[in-house]
Amino acid sequence: MIVILAKSGLQLLLLLLVAPLVTGIIRTLKARLQTRRGPGILQPYRDLFKLLRKGMVIPDTASWIFSAAPYMVFVTATLVGLMIPMIATDAPLSLFGGVLAVIYLLALGRFFLALGGLDTGSSFGGLGSSREMTISAIAEPAMMLAIFTVALGANSTNLSEMARSAVSQSWRFLAPSQMLAFSGLFIVLIAETGRIPVDNPATHLELTMIHEAMILEYSGPYLALLEWGASIKQLVLMTLLVNTFFPFSLSPNWTVSGLGLGLLFYLLKLLLLACCIVLVETTNAKMRLFRVPELLAVAFILGALALISTFIF
Amino acid sequence: MSFIHDPQFGDKMITLMAALVLVLQISMVGQRWLMTNIRIFALQSFLLAAIACTIAVFNHANHLYIAALLTLILKALVLPVILARLVERVGIPQEIEPLINVPLSILISGGLTLVGYVVAESFYHPEETSASAALGHNTLAIAIALFLIGFFTTLNRRKALTQVLGLLSMENGLFLAAISLMYGMPLVVELGIFFDVLLAVMVLGILVYRIGETFDSMDVSKLRRLRG
Repeated sequence: MIVILAKSGLQLLLLLLVAPLVTGIIRTLKARLQTRRGPGILQPYRDLFKLLRKGMVIPDTASWIFSAAPYMVFVTATLVGLMIPMIATDAPLSLFGGVLAVIYLLALGRFFLALGGLDTGSSFGGLGSSREMTISAIAEPAMMLAIFTVALGANSTNLSEMARSAVSQSWRFLAPSQMLAFSGLFIVLIAETGRIPVDNPATHLELTMIHEAMILEYSGPYLALLEWGASIKQLVLMTLLVNTFFPFSLSPNWTVSGLGLGLLFYLLKLLLLACCIVLVETTNAKMRLFRVPELLAVAFILGALALISTFIF
Repeated sequence: MSFIHDPQFGDKMITLMAALVLVLQISMVGQRWLMTNIRIFALQSFLLAAIACTIAVFNHANHLYIAALLTLILKALVLPVILARLVERVGIPQEIEPLINVPLSILISGGLTLVGYVVAESFYHPEETSASAALGHNTLAIAIALFLIGFFTTLNRRKALTQVLGLLSMENGLFLAAISLMYGMPLVVELGIFFDVLLAVMVLGILVYRIGETFDSMDVSKLRRLRG
């Protein structure tokens, strides 16, 4: 019991601290690539700190759902973060559930976020919520197919079990099914974190925004929770991507030296993935909303092909 | 560098690159911009050259180096440049308008990939455990899928230039099947095919240019009436 608490505490700390950092690194790298100076990588921490100290404005039309949504988003993202392996192969809460629990906890957070957007009755919130739901309706099956491909290889839907079996098989990440699943999940990551071909995280232009439209009415600590929750969700999805497909360097046990090395490689992998995301964001233009399903259809087909090819090869 | 001599590693790399080629083919179906399509084709040909090179290294098939070099020069460099210049000269609109909408086309190409796997399955004999048999099984399916999707792309598009791209990716599928199943054809045949493709693109380029000049459009569905 104590051990699980200690493990959870460590991973929780890591999750809460690293998530804004990743957001900051992505923003800075993107600015540099566009020959802007950009804010420093610590800016998200300052933003969160500032928002947490500010007062809030809550619309008169809002019900309790408006206040519940930020907590739900934050808590589900953090809970999912404790269920996936970050630096060691066994995640602290791995007994709590497997891949399906992860996917549906994320869906629960998204559901409340959409409700929060709808709750105030403003037209922007409703618009953002409906767009978010449209996109996630296609992104979710694609994500499931891609992760099930890995789960099939490990004969288990438990993420820790999957990581353990992947560590023991060398060269497995070179199998075509893994590669197809990886490309599918990468597109899903771009869509779910609201990155550029799908959504622009840096704009409040009403014609294009999805995520920003839903949280438009929020301010102060609630906004801080939502922003923090969003960056934790982003970190969780990135971790899922790097650790299920490239799980080497995950520490097999919770010793200090193993964890140190695991942490070092984990941060390195995250940095590489962040570079990929920045490259995609900088080299692509924002898609028209009606074209987004086409992109997600590609992700879906890649996931389906990955799943089928594991049966054939 | 011990893994250079590990044939299992070579097989993994080849199937991986073949799968990447398939991903590129599907993204070509999902792409709407002509120039991006041409770039994807160049990347696909580059990967094919890499596959040929890997097969040559791991199976000591030295004549495949020449095929790899020819693929690299002709298909990954010369053809895309010719096509890009043609696009610039004809000045056609960049956006491809497929007959069947994009999500459905992507679903169809997924289905065609399945057909490729099913067809390749009938060539597969589990009792044959040699490395080349297993390798052929993996890549043959992808090669057939490439061929079918290329054929589908050719049918699905209105503009002459994009049909040429579909034709070229069909040829890529054939090349993949040839190098992975029998370590390439005799050099004379390969040379013949390469120059055939180059010539075909040039002739089609002139044809496309003429169509564009005569009809102010590249839409082949306008080529209905005979003119004296």
